[in-house]
Amino acid sequence: MLLLLAIWWAVAAAHIWPEVFVPAPGAVWEQLWLTSSVHEGRRGYSGYLLHEHLLVSLGRIGLGSLYGVIGGIAAGLLIGLVPTVRTLLGPLVTFVRTLPPLAYFSLLIIWFGIDEPPKIWLLFIAAMPPVAVATAEAVRGVHEDYLNAARSLGARRWQLPYRIVLPSALPEVITGIRVAVGVAYTTVVAAETVNGVPGIGGMIRDAQRYNQTDVVILGLLVIGASGLLIDTFLQFIERLLVPWRGRA
Amino acid sequence: MPSPDEVLAVRTAAVRLTGVSLTYGARGGLLRPRGTRVAALRDIDLEIGAGAFLVIVGPSGCGKSTLLRLIAGFAPPTTGEIAVSGAPVTGPGPDRGVVFQQPRLFPWLSVRRNVEFGLRMAGLPAARRRERAMELLGLVGLADVAGQRPYELSGGMQQRAAIARALAPDPAILLMDEPFAALDALTRERLQEELRRIWQATGKTVLFVTHSVDEAVYLGTRVIVLSRRPGRIVLDQPSELPFAPDPHTHPGYPALRETIATAVRRSASDDPGQDDSGQDASGSDDSG
Ligand SMILES: Nc1ncnc2c1ncn2[C@@H]1O[C@H](COP(=O)(O)OP(=O)(O)OP(=O)(O)O)[C@@H](O)[C@H]1O
Ligand SMILES: [Mg+2]
Repeated sequence: MLLLLAIWWAVAAAHIWPEVFVPAPGAVWEQLWLTSSVHEGRRGYSGYLLHEHLLVSLGRIGLGSLYGVIGGIAAGLLIGLVPTVRTLLGPLVTFVRTLPPLAYFSLLIIWFGIDEPPKIWLLFIAAMPPVAVATAEAVRGVHEDYLNAARSLGARRWQLPYRIVLPSALPEVITGIRVAVGVAYTTVVAAETVNGVPGIGGMIRDAQRYNQTDVVILGLLVIGASGLLIDTFLQFIERLLVPWRGRA
Repeated sequence: MPSPDEVLAVRTAAVRLTGVSLTYGARGGLLRPRGTRVAALRDIDLEIGAGAFLVIVGPSGCGKSTLLRLIAGFAPPTTGEIAVSGAPVTGPGPDRGVVFQQPRLFPWLSVRRNVEFGLRMAGLPAARRRERAMELLGLVGLADVAGQRPYELSGGMQQRAAIARALAPDPAILLMDEPFAALDALTRERLQEELRRIWQATGKTVLFVTHSVDEAVYLGTRVIVLSRRPGRIVLDQPSELPFAPDPHTHPGYPALRETIATAVRRSASDDPGQDDSGQDASGSDDSG
């Protein structure tokens, strides 16, 4: 990390490329303060402070991922449990998964306008398939003796999905959720290319338009760092919820 | 406690098998995509009286687990019929408690909640569930690890927890697949005694698989020995020893032990008259 920073600093200091291509670390650092404060009557960047951009983006990621996770678990359960649904929905999920988000974003904008709805829809559609696929696989992989044991202990057939299938699929479902949040992260910048301010993606987009490379890099760093933080948090949740992972 | 006569008379059959065979891979598609057909059981006729303690012995891979799983209702037999208390078996149910060869505890539940599972399904209120679970965990010597997760327990402890879980809903029939195999001699002896006591006190019907001849003699009011795969009954030996105050010192013990041991030895060795590879393609090989 430090080494990388040193190389960056050296490259920038050597002025091999103009400032527009490779801004100095100091410039990015300075932008961190400028975008985080009110200065000369101007508030942050494009009228919003850095953390406001970030929070709005995180809110979109959170909402899109939440819907994606709920929809993904429901779809995954159905795909994994009901053979007819598997043949119908399975290929559809794969189809959607292979589409690049930007491709259907245009369609979403036509349908839902340029405000929040298309952005949330985009993140939802991007986040759902990983969860659905992971859940479906895990559901089909549930050891039949767990089901047998439960039935011998008096569980009814309809109680199995909630009592046995879901909890025993939980480790894989959580992995799916981590992937989904990652996908939502990579998609949010695309979602914010249209009317994305406030939002980190919108900020990067505006900065690009005015050749403010230091702001672009700052945006990238902020997204990466917050993503790292959130994944660490999800891993913590994972250890809390499925401590038996790899041991049972 | 049932008298020997009551148990041995087979007045009411708790479990009845007629012409039961099971060939794995016979139903191509569902179990496996039509690969090797393995005949695990052939033509089993068996009538088990209510309150009996039936011990099943036989060489590894002869179909003992398969037999229990069929009675448990986990899969239908390829041919034949199985009835429990007069009604044909259509699936698993809480009237038949199962202790699997592997513990198969639910890893997402604590040990206590595993034991409580059947009680929860039966709709018992939380306080009563907890009380009964703790009582059973005390019985198998696990009261101090009630709050831990199954993966934190040793194999033998897991198996004991699984026994407590199967006992909790008080099933009329207990299907136990080598439940004491993973235990040390002392714990094993204690649990054998405990199981004998429970069986005597409750009049449950127990079907019990073991590789230990001594365990069979100590526990069984009836011991059956299966041949090599596909399993057929080669010895069906009734016994009154489990009704004695101490079966180990019963005068009939050595002779009974010898009878069973001989049958086990003979079934394990490749007796040409009995041998059948069981992997015939037609499934109707009558060379034996
Ligand atoms: N799911 C399965 N699919 C195919 N063959 C199976 C399956 N389960 C068991 N078998 C075969 O059926 C035969 C009987 O198996 P089973 O588990 O009933 O033996 P067992 O008597 O319980 O042996 P052990 O004493 O080792 O537990 C074995 O030869 C095994 O190869
Ligand atoms: Mg077995």
